[in-house]
Amino acid sequence: MKLHEYQAKALFREFGIPAPQGELADTVEAAVNSAEHLGWPAALKAQVLRGGRGKAGLVKIVQTPEEACTAAQAIFASDWKVRKILVEQAIAHERELYVSFSADSRTGAHLLLASAEGGVEIEDLARTAPEKILKEHIDSIRGILPYQARTAAYDLGFAPSLAKGFASIIEKLYRLYVQKDCELAEINPLFVTLEGNFIAADAKISIDDNALFRHPEFEQDPADFDSDIAREAAAEGIPYLQFDGDISLMCAGAGLTTAVYDLVVDFGGTVANYLEFGGPNYRKSVRAMKLCIKNNPKVILIVTFGTIARADIMAEGIVEAIRCLRPDCPIVTCIRGTGEDKARETLLSAGLEPLTDTEEAVKKAVELAHIARSTATERPTPAAASKQGGQP
Amino acid sequence: MSILVDQSTRTIVMGATGSEGTFWTEHMVNLGTHIIAAVTPGKEGEHVGDIPVYHSVHRALDASALGSRSAAGAPADTYAPADAAMLFVPPHFTKDAVFECLDAGIKLIVIVADGIPLHDALQIRAASRTEGALVVGGNTSGIISPGKAMLGMFPYWIERVYKPGRIGVMTRSGSLTNEVTAMVVRAGFGVSTLVGVGGDPVPGTRFAEILARFQEDSETDAVVMIGELGGTMEEEAAEMIASGAFSKPLIAFIGGRHAPKDKRMGHAGAIISGGKGSALDKMRALEEAGALTAERASQVGILLAETLKSRGQAVTSAKSARSPLSADSAPGASTRGSHNE
Repeated sequence: MKLHEYQAKALFREFGIPAPQGELADTVEAAVNSAEHLGWPAALKAQVLRGGRGKAGLVKIVQTPEEACTAAQAIFASDWKVRKILVEQAIAHERELYVSFSADSRTGAHLLLASAEGGVEIEDLARTAPEKILKEHIDSIRGILPYQARTAAYDLGFAPSLAKGFASIIEKLYRLYVQKDCELAEINPLFVTLEGNFIAADAKISIDDNALFRHPEFEQDPADFDSDIAREAAAEGIPYLQFDGDISLMCAGAGLTTAVYDLVVDFGGTVANYLEFGGPNYRKSVRAMKLCIKNNPKVILIVTFGTIARADIMAEGIVEAIRCLRPDCPIVTCIRGTGEDKARETLLSAGLEPLTDTEEAVKKAVELAHIARSTATERPTPAAASKQGGQP
Repeated sequence: MSILVDQSTRTIVMGATGSEGTFWTEHMVNLGTHIIAAVTPGKEGEHVGDIPVYHSVHRALDASALGSRSAAGAPADTYAPADAAMLFVPPHFTKDAVFECLDAGIKLIVIVADGIPLHDALQIRAASRTEGALVVGGNTSGIISPGKAMLGMFPYWIERVYKPGRIGVMTRSGSLTNEVTAMVVRAGFGVSTLVGVGGDPVPGTRFAEILARFQEDSETDAVVMIGELGGTMEEEAAEMIASGAFSKPLIAFIGGRHAPKDKRMGHAGAIISGGKGSALDKMRALEEAGALTAERASQVGILLAETLKSRGQAVTSAKSARSPLSADSAPGASTRGSHNE
């Protein structure tokens, strides 16, 4: 779960990492008032979770109320669906630094990255000038030791007066990263002010979803989802991604669904949504299909090869879903795994054609989507579609 | 042979008293897995089938030691060793269970739980390295040596998927594994051992570590790797091939070729970050190292048949096979692995 900058900065303050004074504004007027209140020059920063907002012109430094008004209008009018602007005092500074903690999956350690150059994409810097990035593995069981933070500061070339402050920022950020179960805790850029103090100009924090049970203080903002359907899916605990193509994927198993996505694109089809109802969700056929139908897909493609997710139960659920929801698009089924013989009978008795080969099923779905596109006026009913599917 | 598990692997099961745990424990026994004890705190004295349940790993091993002492007169202060632990434990308690097993000296631990907190997974990975143990998972179906033993949850009764044979399989997925392994069997092969390393961002055991075991296994002729976008495990496998540390044929199937960037598609570990870890990058790295890559599951079996056939011919014509395994390969095996470049 990614946090917005203003949320991340609130955490910074909680852990003793200085961040600029700021106020949250949800209208142009409020943004101008906040800037007026905080003092000029001010920084107006769109609160969005996608990266690249700087390049998109969604972060502006403004000197006057007129400039603030123009900038805020532009930010709210952009196609990024910005709902909130963080208004801050613009900070005069003489240096920009980078510091972050993330996981190193290969060793099982935490990884401290620091650089005396901030404000850049660390991946770009890693490619063009890897020698400028300091990497230090932090034992995930022992935790960080003060000498590691100190050494990092001296290795980056800080004078003793600054090194102490920088080491302190590192240790505080580590504490936040561990205590809040972060996937990533990043300050980029970290400013060194003209007075030689450190202040976090930006903040990027991502909380591990699997650890949210330990952190009731974090709640996903409903507005942060890609679509209403994605939000409903999340509420159901059903993995879902929103796309805008023709074929609704209703598959079981993360790996298999991803492979089916690849095949759809390979065979010239487009995907309306990625939906995975395997694992603990395999009894949720009706709810899964309900979500798919909301996309008005040309075809619903159901591919499973489950172990725990029993084929017979899923087949029954699908037949039940069709009975309840009466989708007006064809449904292609390829259901295998535990209980597959019974699943086959269930599908056959409901007039569906139980395919057994994934590629064949995907081809069929792509073909039906094309037919539906070309004859957009007469949509086949599920029963008609399955008869159609029965032809060799 | 096979790798990691067979009928002789003395195994304890944690969480066997839950409904899923009981169901799969019975299946593991049914397939031939040697289960010596089960562990569920608070349920000592109960049984799962014929398997006695204990409060803790320590107590389970102690009791097993008592049993074997009366038979063999072993010293009083030693545990009967357990080779492996199978964990049917919820994700939030997994770290605790893993450390309990590691502290008892168990060197192979399989975690099926999906949803282990990242920082717990890091500590599990770090500790297993220190202890020299293999922790397989989480978020995996586990390990199966078809016809011999299983630590995990596989529909082994579906013969068109889980036929014994000489192909090693390692995978980050569950359902996709059934799909791909069915293609291996369809092409006329079977599986020596299948290891699911799991779909999490920080798996306890990585492909490279499994590959090293397959290299040493005289009954594995080739390996099928089912990878996907995200992380660097496939690249590490490519490095092993390039360096010669792994010299058997490797067929890779990588999911997520068309996955959008910066979106998590499927498994938690399946995300391209910082422009790294795309399926196509992985396929390129593997091809450059000398592995074969399949774009579709159906191609895996075909590539396997082609490469083993050509390598098999190469073995008979080669002056010196570098393989330490060719000497003890089963006579008359039609699909012998070759280890010459």
